[in-house]
Amino acid sequence: MKRIVSTVLAAALVLSLAACSNGDAGTSAADDSSEAVTAETSSDAAGDTDAEESDLAYIQEKGTLIIGYTVYAPMNYTDDEGNFTGFDTELATAVCEKLGVTPEFQEINWETKVIELDAGTIDCIWNGMTLTEDIMENTACTEAYAKNAQVIVMNKDAEYTGTADLVSASIAYEAGSAGQETIEAEENLSQADLVPMATQADCLPEVKAGSCQAAVLDLTLANAMIGEGTSYTDLEIKDELNVEEYGVAFRKGSDVADAVNEAFAALREDGTMQALADKYNLELAD
Amino acid sequence: MSEALVIWGRLTESFWLNTQLFLLTLAFALPLGLVVAFGSMSRFAPLRGVVRTFVWVIRGTPLMLQIIVIYLGPGLMGWGTPWPSGSFGRLWAAVVAFVINYACYFSEIYRGGIEAVPKGQTEAGQVLGMTRPQIFFRVTLLQVIKRILPPMGNEVITLVKDTALANVISNKEIIMMAKEYSAKGLIWPLFSTAIFFLVFVGVLTLVFGALEKKLDYFK
Repeated sequence: MKRIVSTVLAAALVLSLAACSNGDAGTSAADDSSEAVTAETSSDAAGDTDAEESDLAYIQEKGTLIIGYTVYAPMNYTDDEGNFTGFDTELATAVCEKLGVTPEFQEINWETKVIELDAGTIDCIWNGMTLTEDIMENTACTEAYAKNAQVIVMNKDAEYTGTADLVSASIAYEAGSAGQETIEAEENLSQADLVPMATQADCLPEVKAGSCQAAVLDLTLANAMIGEGTSYTDLEIKDELNVEEYGVAFRKGSDVADAVNEAFAALREDGTMQALADKYNLELAD
Repeated sequence: MSEALVIWGRLTESFWLNTQLFLLTLAFALPLGLVVAFGSMSRFAPLRGVVRTFVWVIRGTPLMLQIIVIYLGPGLMGWGTPWPSGSFGRLWAAVVAFVINYACYFSEIYRGGIEAVPKGQTEAGQVLGMTRPQIFFRVTLLQVIKRILPPMGNEVITLVKDTALANVISNKEIIMMAKEYSAKGLIWPLFSTAIFFLVFVGVLTLVFGALEKKLDYFK
């Protein structure tokens, strides 16, 4: 009797666990099973020529390009009227039109962007992404479409004549950011007291509070975060360093990057890209 | 001023996601926890071993990591992602991770409650010719519920705040929404989120207080 009861309970346990994980997945199992196969072949296709189906074919077949982004003005953000817009939002929409697919914007965490790409939960990272060596090694990147600089942000009243002024200062930066690379490569800044932060946004309270004398940030981000209408009206950009370039990242080995490069060329030719750059106050890549 | 109103509105809207996650987790984890509890008390040793190992793994690893594994794991293993794209799939992946995790914690609370009921009551029931389910549902269960209310209240309150962990797979709950503003240079929305959690937990505290009072009539 007791045996029977415990056996029944065991079955109930197994079933409830299985139901738990299957029930939710089941809703999409039908359309995802085919995607699963293609996603795998495309993500493993790096350098292989025997890939059965290309990433471009996979995306065009399902008809959507899932674009991973973070809210980041002026690239991807919601304007005062509540419309989702931005330079990258409009550019990606224009490129998707050329590719014959619908853009699907998916907000992600920046730290897990490459994992999401590899897992197939997004199809590309398109969010004012700096083309660093790391990202170019781990993904299939397009050519640069826009450029940016690393800037030194300080209090308005602070004196600044050149990086030599900051040799003994405390400098805040985002750990692992392009700003960190800039600091480490710069003769004077690299000697300063370096204070790594979790995000670029975290650097600004440090400068405002005076616990750091300067922060090294992206030009576009600094322009959006300091001045009128923010909590940082007393900060300003003192200098611009290292110019860097923005690109779009696809799964490693993906052929979509080439297709997007072609779309970029066409959008440059007809003036669409320059118009967007003027609208959002950005510089196109050379 | 009107911008502040918009921000409060968006924070409130995003807190609905925390609330959904909270309610769905409780709805599935409370019954599942009882099943896990029976498994971990089974006299069939292999089942007991498997269940206790499972509970150890789930309680022994960070919930944040479990959420990542459940949402991104299948895709990274090359099986293709089983979750629908967009915010719907992300919410359900979080629900599954939370249900599994909380069912394991609940199971230990249930087990403690069940084992605290004197064995003599079960024996008395058997002498009277009651079946084991009858003994459980008619004699043991209500006493268990009374005993486990305080630890359950603790766990449920923890769940309210744990819902913020769902943002690791970009579920745009209230903390992630507030961080959108701190990333733009506005700091106050992030700290204001505390109010939402405090009010929610305050209501729960009152509910659990009332429940305890209601079950006060027997000891």
